[in-house]
Amino acid sequence: MAVKSPPRALLPDDPGGRLHAPAALRRLTAKGQARRIGGYSVAILGTLLMTAALLQFRDQITPLSKGFGFLVVVVSAAAVGGLGPGIGASILCFLTFNYFFLPPYNTFVIGRAEDVVVLFVFLGLSLLVSVLLARATDRAEAAEARESELRLLQDLSSDLVAAVPGPRAYQSMVSRLVTAFGFSAGGLFVLDPATRDLLERATVGVEPGTLTPRWDPASDLQPPERLPLSVGGRNLGLLVLTGPRPPLAPAESRVIRAFSDQFALVLERDRLLRTATDAEIYRQSDQVRRSLLAAVSHDLRTPLAAIKASVTDLLGEDAAHRPEQLREALESINGETERLASLVANLLDMSRIEGGMLKPRVQAVDLQEVLATATDRLKRQRPRLRVRVRAPEAVVRADPVFLDRVVTNLLDNAGQASVDGGSEQIEVESRRDGDRVTIRVIDHGRGVPQSVREQLFYPFYQLKERHPRLGTGLGLALAKGFLGVMDGEIWIEETPGGGATFAISLPADAGPGA
Amino acid sequence: MTGVRRGRILVVDDEEQIRRAVGRALTARDYVVETASNGEEAVAMAAEFDPDLVVLDLNMPVRDGMWATRLLRARSQVPILVLSVREDEADKVEALDLGADDYLTKPFGIDELMARVRALLRRATAADTSSPPRFEAEGVEIDLDTHRVVRDGEEVRLTKTEWSLLEELSRHPGKLLTHRWLLERVWGAGYADDVDVLRVFVSQLRKKIERDPRRPRIIATDPGIGYRWLVRPVEVPVA
Repeated sequence: MAVKSPPRALLPDDPGGRLHAPAALRRLTAKGQARRIGGYSVAILGTLLMTAALLQFRDQITPLSKGFGFLVVVVSAAAVGGLGPGIGASILCFLTFNYFFLPPYNTFVIGRAEDVVVLFVFLGLSLLVSVLLARATDRAEAAEARESELRLLQDLSSDLVAAVPGPRAYQSMVSRLVTAFGFSAGGLFVLDPATRDLLERATVGVEPGTLTPRWDPASDLQPPERLPLSVGGRNLGLLVLTGPRPPLAPAESRVIRAFSDQFALVLERDRLLRTATDAEIYRQSDQVRRSLLAAVSHDLRTPLAAIKASVTDLLGEDAAHRPEQLREALESINGETERLASLVANLLDMSRIEGGMLKPRVQAVDLQEVLATATDRLKRQRPRLRVRVRAPEAVVRADPVFLDRVVTNLLDNAGQASVDGGSEQIEVESRRDGDRVTIRVIDHGRGVPQSVREQLFYPFYQLKERHPRLGTGLGLALAKGFLGVMDGEIWIEETPGGGATFAISLPADAGPGA
Repeated sequence: MTGVRRGRILVVDDEEQIRRAVGRALTARDYVVETASNGEEAVAMAAEFDPDLVVLDLNMPVRDGMWATRLLRARSQVPILVLSVREDEADKVEALDLGADDYLTKPFGIDELMARVRALLRRATAADTSSPPRFEAEGVEIDLDTHRVVRDGEEVRLTKTEWSLLEELSRHPGKLLTHRWLLERVWGAGYADDVDVLRVFVSQLRKKIERDPRRPRIIATDPGIGYRWLVRPVEVPVA
């Protein structure tokens, strides 16, 4: 036979032996056979023994008493072997009784009319007892078989219900089914009820791809059992089971069908769950999109409005500008244009981070240089802000462009926070801690409440408010995103005396030759 | 007019760069400017500075423009020019309902701002004179005192409702009057949302007084918000 036996590893462990419950179904049939043989043995041996025993007292006891003796044999045979052995024992005893114990002895001739009555009453009684006993035994057997079916079904379905939705669960259910019914391989094919497309497949006992929903007569697999899984007329999938075993007995077939109905319900549940999850994901991304739009429109419009006001002010012929007013207007236009440019850069960075398209080019970066460039830029943008830098010489491993974006965003954030909190100063410090360098950007603003510190790093965190500010909301998320791809970390501390301190850490450069 | 102080203007916006740009432009045009960065500051500053006009941003943190409009209106008739952004349409209408006089959508040009500022300041001065308004423009003479409307030499008959609509509009020349405001004055509080009724009557009124009702020169429409009386009253020399 060309069928491969299932690789052990593909079949689940069965520590409790529960998987063999279905073997009970098969055992029942085998048990019937053994019992019948036992019954006939009892009938024959019983008759022989009873005859041998009664022969000792052939003339001392009445035919009626002997008849009772033989009745014991009949009842025993019927009890052990059911109807067949019961009837066999009845006939055997009937003949033996007649031949050995009804005078004239050792003939089938019956001398007395009274004995004829005794003999036939015996026969009738034996048959009646056999039939009644056999029926009771059959009932008990059927009940036992049904209980075993139910136990199997219950085991399978409780596993099914407990399973976490997903391909792994399907795989283990198919595998249980295969083992339970003595198949060698099985597969579940989940279909999209609308398009009939194959959504998922889980196969057990064969190389993936060997077992298909359609049986290929040319394959070395046996004609499979095919069980369609459907709920309310919607075809959700197909269960295929194959292996070197006789066709399913009616009891097994019943269990498998009941099980596949439940499996179909589980598939339907998983399908609905998926739909609900998809809807939820869509709703959330839709909300992010709307938040983003609101923030973008606010943050782009404010600089635009300032630029437009300043430009049209300068263009107006009805105004007499003093030289310092002219200069101020032009400076404001310049500053706002830079703000717009940095916003656009942030938006692009964010989309690159979200799209997973960041490829850092990590190299040794002079930290002092990065900090100096970024603080100079900040001073140009916020001339009134005092920035104090305390950074000893340090070289870190980072992507220089990303690091610059991180530091710029943190400085910008700190500058805004300090101004909002009525302070005009921020500090930047760096320190080497073992094999890492920590950089702290310290503001004296209103600080960040403990409860929202984690959320602050999610993009658009602030957008639930009425006044979305893209700058800060995006800036911290960007910093985290950039640091995430170059082994960096970011966290928030409290500034002694009030305000927030944003700390980042990066691996220190081990120096040349390391 | 250079060199002459034209008026005192309070500029309220939470964005510093906007405050400064608008303030600078107004100063360069000889207005005296003070600024405030939220609603609370605006109300306090209005009491102290006694402005002739308030330019008020609606969308501000803490105390917003709506809040400030309500308080400013409760205390004085100072003209309020509301600054809003496009998505705050509903807020803008509400501010106008509350008594703001006009609005400007960001981003705006300083020329637009100046036009609104001049119109509002002029109206504020005109409202101080107590003589009943008379209008002569576009071939129409309207005299609210004698209840007479004459177009191209012929007297025009107006229904009672048309008259009260005309009166409400013309009493506030240049001011943007919201649908709700007009409906409440002319028809009563129960009709505040019957914009269609208002539209029908405005169109009837235009047919009677405008030379070309499709291109109105007297009653202008501000789509979705309300109407504005465009004609300036005739200055009557005080006897």
